[in-house]
Amino acid sequence: MLNILLVDDDEEFTNVACHIIEFLGHDTSTASSLEEAYQILEFNDFDHIFLDFMLPDGSGLHLIDHINKSNKSPYITLITGHPLVKGMLSSLCGPKIGYLAKPLQREDLEQALSHKTQKKPSKKNDSSMPTKHFDCLIGESKAMQELYTMIERVARTQANVMLMGESGVGKEVVAQAIHYATNKANNSEYELVASNCGAISKDLITSELFGHEKGAFTGAIAKKEGVFQRAGNGTLFLDEVTEMPIDMQPNLLRVLENKKVTPVGGAKEIDVNCRVISASNRSVAEIAEKKCLREDIYFRLAVFPISIPALRERKEDIPLLANTFLNELNNEYDRNHQWDATQLQRLVDYDWPGNVRELRHTIHRAFIMSDPQSASVELPKDFRSPFSSISEQKHSLTAGQTIEDVEKELIKVTLADVNGNKSLAAEMLGISTKTLYNRLHAYGDFKD
Amino acid sequence: MTNQNNEAPSKNINELIHDARAPLNRISMQAELIKLVIENEMPPEKALEAANKIIDSCQECSQFLEQISNK
Repeated sequence: MLNILLVDDDEEFTNVACHIIEFLGHDTSTASSLEEAYQILEFNDFDHIFLDFMLPDGSGLHLIDHINKSNKSPYITLITGHPLVKGMLSSLCGPKIGYLAKPLQREDLEQALSHKTQKKPSKKNDSSMPTKHFDCLIGESKAMQELYTMIERVARTQANVMLMGESGVGKEVVAQAIHYATNKANNSEYELVASNCGAISKDLITSELFGHEKGAFTGAIAKKEGVFQRAGNGTLFLDEVTEMPIDMQPNLLRVLENKKVTPVGGAKEIDVNCRVISASNRSVAEIAEKKCLREDIYFRLAVFPISIPALRERKEDIPLLANTFLNELNNEYDRNHQWDATQLQRLVDYDWPGNVRELRHTIHRAFIMSDPQSASVELPKDFRSPFSSISEQKHSLTAGQTIEDVEKELIKVTLADVNGNKSLAAEMLGISTKTLYNRLHAYGDFKD
Repeated sequence: MTNQNNEAPSKNINELIHDARAPLNRISMQAELIKLVIENEMPPEKALEAANKIIDSCQECSQFLEQISNK
């Protein structure tokens, strides 16, 4: 809980802001002028001060001077309604001084109170920026709303979470969101430590997870803390957990059950108290079928399983995401590209087998291709990446299909791939153009 | 003289825009309060009160816009 002072002469605003901030679990006091603020500050300490830039008896900057002269150092967020003042304030902003521009939202207050980096002053199109849920997730679709509810609920517990979803859906971002929500629910600032189980060699995995003592094995020249220890009371994110060698998994099970780790070469057990969020791009059925995760570990890790929707299941979020990614690039390179409605529709129409990651990469590629002098974006004619076309070309063969069906499907796919060019298709299929025409006529449902 | 005449109205517009942001800010915060009331099943009177204040602030904002358009 923080002790917060609001200095603003707009009484209705201070009243409603107090309501909201108190609801967020903090104590508030208000002052409507510099003079009143000086008096309150004399007898009270505050963790954070929200300060209007223009007050009836002077500027908010006077109060900052006053505070700097005292030995107090609260966080200060200047609130300004003046667009011209915004630029000036950004140069003033240090690690403990930030600013917000009116009109404020609850999220702005929360972000300021989390004492993290504030909005970049150069950010353009602020008003059109979509809400970042939990400071990182974008999307207002029903599927995402359900995901947010699950994150909110699980954040209030210590349960281990397993995230499942296709490649590129943003499992690490959801892990960050859970971590963010947990810290907010407990008003804590614990750490998130991430480790990719698929990227660590089998020999090093125990040391990476549980740490080692100096001299535990050849090359162990110093003591090393494992990720469980480093995560402390925070969150440990184990990505690609199903890629962990099966013979290493009993060690993990022991830690999950006993909440204690023994570093390699160590004699003492160390208590661990972190929440484990694990992730896999395999489905539950595949995990069970291929036995890439022991059943006992699965139930320990997936106390609360969360399935992250694929991008094609939440198409209405594509324009929000596309705008956000383009704005980020615009800010980074100081450009001003905008989507037109047809382009956004094309983005929405595509299936994005590589999900948000693929969308982001496609937009980045388009951004690089775009003329810096123009406001338009050069969206490629075809979005398909080599990877997505492979997955798209997976046409299933099932027992019981007739040879004619398979042949028909093959011709259809080949023609689609060469944009209907029949000579090229015939060449690819190893038949004459005449034969191809004969087949097409025989099927009857192809146009010449 | 000409310069001064040109500067004076533009200053006023900036001031008016600044002033219009105050009711906008109140609207935004009252709307956030309504969301909190609904999400947490708090007494509906609070939401009603906030909604009325939003309507008042909209009127105020509209007056500022009127003044700006008369510039």
